[in-house]
Amino acid sequence: MALNVLVVDDSAVMRAIIIKTLRLGGLCLGKIFEASNGQEALDILDENWVDLALVDINMPVMTGEEFIEQVRLQKETADLSILVVSTEGSSKRIEAVRSMGAGFLHKPFTPELLRETVMQITGVENEQIDSESFVQRSGYDF
Amino acid sequence: MSKSTAKALFNAAAMTFEELGFMFPISDLDELQLYAQVDAAAKVDFEGPFSGTLLVQICGGILPILTANMLGEGERPSAQLQQDALGEITNIICGNLLPEIAGREHIFQLSSPSRCSSRDSEEMVSAGLPAVEARVGLEQGRADLLLFMNK
Repeated sequence: MALNVLVVDDSAVMRAIIIKTLRLGGLCLGKIFEASNGQEALDILDENWVDLALVDINMPVMTGEEFIEQVRLQKETADLSILVVSTEGSSKRIEAVRSMGAGFLHKPFTPELLRETVMQITGVENEQIDSESFVQRSGYDF
Repeated sequence: MSKSTAKALFNAAAMTFEELGFMFPISDLDELQLYAQVDAAAKVDFEGPFSGTLLVQICGGILPILTANMLGEGERPSAQLQQDALGEITNIICGNLLPEIAGREHIFQLSSPSRCSSRDSEEMVSAGLPAVEARVGLEQGRADLLLFMNK
């Protein structure tokens, strides 16, 4: 099953890195949407079906935490799989994010860890390549 | 601020440049690296148990290579993307540094990274010396990291 993915980060470079890493990870991807803040992301969710959102925390206009709160309040998006990708180091803030039903991945991240975390959160099996061949092919960190 | 803070700053930067930018960081800079001119700079402000600013200056013409490495592209990235890349690197270094020096129980709010002109950088230094400095050698250039603390 192809995953429709929403990448939310105020850095265009980081969005590009995440998208490229997802593509290299052998996951079956459908449409990929991008947003530079939480409000833009909510607008995209209003118009499109998304299976997974990867979200930064510190963003202008609407933070990642505020976005997750809004997503969980709406019936249509309450069960959206969310992975927070952030430099956040505070254990309290990470725990608060997890309590809202989101996963957490620290920047910088390896492609392997991003892939494994996405598969864990979405419950999607990798249909294309196995772990060993992915590590051999990629061989770098993000 | 102690030597351990300077070491934490260097380590956070080295990890970021290596894992994100695929550049091997060194602490013992050669003459070419030491005298390289500043090409671009970015800063991130932070607030928490203490507040301040992290300024990162990139020197020696390495920013296009660094950005291309991050994006996995062969062509020279646009100036906008290069500045974005530097901002994101500054953001990640700051985000990894603060828990190391303050402890993971504290919460910091980081501003979005912003471009810093050479004039802005000079004004920051004139207003007060950085609490901690670190230099990371990267290929033919270097990154200067200056951590300013608000009083």
